[in-house]
Amino acid sequence: MARSFQVGDTFTHVRECDVYRPIYYAGASGDFNPIHIDPEVGKVAGLDGVILQGLCTLGWAVEAVAVFVGDPGRIRKVKVRFSRPVRPDDTVTFEGRVTAIEAGRLTTEVTATNQRGEAVLKGAVVEASIG
Amino acid sequence: MAIDKRFIGREYGPFTYTIGAEKLREFTFAVGGAHPAAGTPGEPPAHVSPLLYDDQAAKAGPYGDLIAFPSFAVVFAIRPFASAVADPELDLNLLMLVHGEQELEFLDVMRPGDVMTTTGRISDVYEKAGKQFLIATTESRNQRGDLVVKGTWTAVVRG
Repeated sequence: MARSFQVGDTFTHVRECDVYRPIYYAGASGDFNPIHIDPEVGKVAGLDGVILQGLCTLGWAVEAVAVFVGDPGRIRKVKVRFSRPVRPDDTVTFEGRVTAIEAGRLTTEVTATNQRGEAVLKGAVVEASIG
Repeated sequence: MAIDKRFIGREYGPFTYTIGAEKLREFTFAVGGAHPAAGTPGEPPAHVSPLLYDDQAAKAGPYGDLIAFPSFAVVFAIRPFASAVADPELDLNLLMLVHGEQELEFLDVMRPGDVMTTTGRISDVYEKAGKQFLIATTESRNQRGDLVVKGTWTAVVRG
């Protein structure tokens, strides 16, 4: 079933960083940096507790586009800047917009905003093949 | 203290990693929002594609096998970057280190049984606004020698 995409199409994906998510992600990814699993270390590092691995947030941005195009195998590129930590109990809303479609490839710009309206990613761009 | 520019070009690897189906599922579920209990990976949330965890659906799908969630690549492709920031000669304060930026390019899907070999190098170091920046670039190839993942990793050391 071919789906058509157009420049200007938008999509939304909401993800909650539950209290154990940094630990689940640590186990799955192997990123056991103590700032993600030990609140005391997070405090010493001036982070006021643990923070979610930025690469998990990146994964969510990828997931938002994978759900939009309907196939995770079509993701071709992701680029993000981590502008603010995601913490346990944060809810992150990803809003994407198709900015270009060219040669069977779709480019999306994705914003990621926490429940206080602060951007946790900046300049996020995800590309997917649609050919 | 600024990172010495002479470290630009320093290479790390090759690192070899064999992709396993259960690790793919675990990663997919962790990113996807499952809630593991003791001895179980949890239930995949509805938005997670069956191509990432359901053998039957994946075999009937466009890739003929389970595929990795794209950013699973970080599990193995991070190795040169992790080695660079932990390189004792660079002497970075890991407690003050944050992941600043990330770029990943996927040239193909990854399947269970693929053997990925990653090499990488420090491509730049610089100081900006009192912070140290270290950029590493990586390339991951499969067992056929095909380039599958390219990464650009940016570490920022605060203060």
